[in-house]
Amino acid sequence: MIPNVVKKSFYRFYLFQPGLRIWHWVQFLAIFVLFFTGLYIGNPFFIGSILDPTDAYGKALCMDLIRLIHFAAGYVLLFGFIYRLFLMVTKKSHFWLLIPKFWKGWFWKGIFDVLLFYTFIKKSHIPLVRNPLARTAYFFVMLLILFEIWTGFAMYGLSNPDGFWAKFLGNWTLALFGSEYELHFWHHVVAWIIALFVMVHVYMVFFNDFIAKEGELSSMTSGVKFFPEGHLPYDCDDVASKEECKRLKGET
Amino acid sequence: MGKTYWEAFKEAGISRREFLKFATYITGLMGLAPSMVPKVVEALETKERIPVIWLHGLECTGCTESFIRSNAPYASDLLLNVITLEYDETLPAAAGILYEENGKMVRSGLVGHLDKVVEEYKGKYILVYEGGVPLGNDGRYCIVAGRPYKEDVIELAKHAAVLMSVGTCASWGGIQAARPNPTHSVPVSDLVNKPLIKVPGCPPIPEVITGTILHLALFGMPPLDDQGRPKQFFGNRIHDTCYRRPFFNAGQFVEKPDDDAAKKGWCLYKIGCRGPTTYASCGNLRWFGGISYPIQSGAPCIGCADKNFWDKGPFFQREKGIVLPNVEVDADKVGVAAAAVTAGALAVHAIAAGIRHAGEKDDEH
Ligand code: HEM
Ligand code: HEM
Ligand code: SF4
Ligand code: SF4
Repeated sequence: MIPNVVKKSFYRFYLFQPGLRIWHWVQFLAIFVLFFTGLYIGNPFFIGSILDPTDAYGKALCMDLIRLIHFAAGYVLLFGFIYRLFLMVTKKSHFWLLIPKFWKGWFWKGIFDVLLFYTFIKKSHIPLVRNPLARTAYFFVMLLILFEIWTGFAMYGLSNPDGFWAKFLGNWTLALFGSEYELHFWHHVVAWIIALFVMVHVYMVFFNDFIAKEGELSSMTSGVKFFPEGHLPYDCDDVASKEECKRLKGET
Repeated sequence: MGKTYWEAFKEAGISRREFLKFATYITGLMGLAPSMVPKVVEALETKERIPVIWLHGLECTGCTESFIRSNAPYASDLLLNVITLEYDETLPAAAGILYEENGKMVRSGLVGHLDKVVEEYKGKYILVYEGGVPLGNDGRYCIVAGRPYKEDVIELAKHAAVLMSVGTCASWGGIQAARPNPTHSVPVSDLVNKPLIKVPGCPPIPEVITGTILHLALFGMPPLDDQGRPKQFFGNRIHDTCYRRPFFNAGQFVEKPDDDAAKKGWCLYKIGCRGPTTYASCGNLRWFGGISYPIQSGAPCIGCADKNFWDKGPFFQREKGIVLPNVEVDADKVGVAAAAVTAGALAVHAIAAGIRHAGEKDDEH
């Protein structure tokens, strides 16, 4: 609990390097594009006027172009994902903040506390750099994104049965799902699940920024989060060294 | 010792010239390059004709109907000259007891025609399966010559050189395996543990059946994909070989089976065409010697060569819906509804947050 009396004196955690922040926004743009072009692919319509049957091809906003945009954004998403994996080894917080540490006591305490806070039963929750609910959500959404990349490139690659993507992903994925029809279906369903995540995610970010005042929103732009002096986050270990955390706690 | 193909041809009075034409023809049919013609001729001259045993299980015999309509080589040519079809329940003149008891005893414990063939060609024959295998009720849903079909399936596979499942029934279980699959019909591959080549389709294109058997007879196993289908016939989506593809790319779609766009021959994607997810040769080989295929006649592909195609939503709908209790709803509709509910819940939460945390200031922490 953060008591009211403590006057403003914050210390800052530098969590996200510029690379990670840029990645986050690039990924956001890619998924934004992928989602809406994907919906169009699932249920296309013609935008433009058809004067004669061969006229439309390549001129108007049509299936071919939308698919091209979808695949281009798909590549952006893929390289972004690989880059994010690479970032995991460059900075402590880039790795640990994505891991739901269910084996830690504070993880479960945090879940209940944050839930009570979100349901307005409590006015604040234990200090955390990234709360367990958010961790779990980010972890799973990264898996969903990986799933979209996997199924997407499998479908994409199979138009060239001897090409790289067909050999690397396509053939065994097809055998696993039994049929490409299923691939389309699950690719479509997961697209919606990601969209629902984004809605809640964006709301939670604003909520935490305005209500919990953790500098949440700015963290993905400036890379920094603020905590009031004397209230060390339980997951301090994930972003700073043990000594640093002890020092902040005032134990040394 | 059996005869080579060339010997059999000579005996049948076929000229060398005809023989070479035939070799060239089947080279194309097997999906091989023209430079392979000499190899094919060599194989035809040196290899013995391969014996084939053709079994029938739970099915409609449509595959055989398709097979005997092979435009080229005429199925009769193939039967008589290229393979020796030693056993088949539907094609020979004799049937039933006359056929089965051509030997001394019948299959159920006794030795019949089939057993003689197996004995003679042990380890050499191609075993072709047509039809699914019902396991339910101890296999009693399909009894052939007094014995459950599933026992023949396993028994005969033991002595075969190579196995081949013709048609969707033998390859994926077939229509009778549709939910709830009352006979518990399964594909042959569930029961046997040997290299098996799958030629699905309901029925498969005749040239695909003959082309695959030819390849097996002359060169052994063709290259297979991860599901066991010959790549030369199942490597491409119908969608990627479809002559209506330009309309797909241009975004010109048939909205209803009888609309103006349908008359103009536009893409059938939106009325459920399974071309984008089905791997078969309909787009390039087409049917009846290349005359037409479903899409060309204006009907969306139903994906009959695809695994479990019978359970994949209504044929005239592009994608199956999400199954909710009692209804099946389009994924986009479910998505929009879920998004609306989420947005509503978040709005309520936001208002509640405003009330609950009213008056808090930054420095009150
Ligand atoms: C496609 C849409 C989006 C996806 C998939 C997404 C995903 C993610 C993920 C995976 C993280 C964790 C970052 C990490 O540690 O690697 C994250 C953090 C964050 N996102 Fe997003 N995001 C999306 C859109 C947005 C938008 C539109 C906003 C702005 C309103 C936003 C604001 C933030 C903030 C502030 C954080 C840091 C939160 C924290 O540290 O707990 N995101 N997002
Ligand atoms: C978060 C990421 C993504 C989302 C939300 C998304 C969304 C969608 C949607 C809704 C569809 C329509 C499915 C259908 O009804 O058939 C689709 C199709 C498709 N997507 Fe994605 N997608 C994503 C990532 C990718 C990636 C990374 C690739 C890889 C290149 C990809 C390749 C494809 C392909 C090949 C199709 C089928 C196109 C066709 O049938 O013409 N997707 N996507
Ligand atoms: S695959 Fe189709 S055509 Fe062949 S036997 Fe089965 S139902 Fe008949
Ligand atoms: S008709 Fe079917 S197979 Fe042909 S382009 Fe359209 S969707 Fe593809």
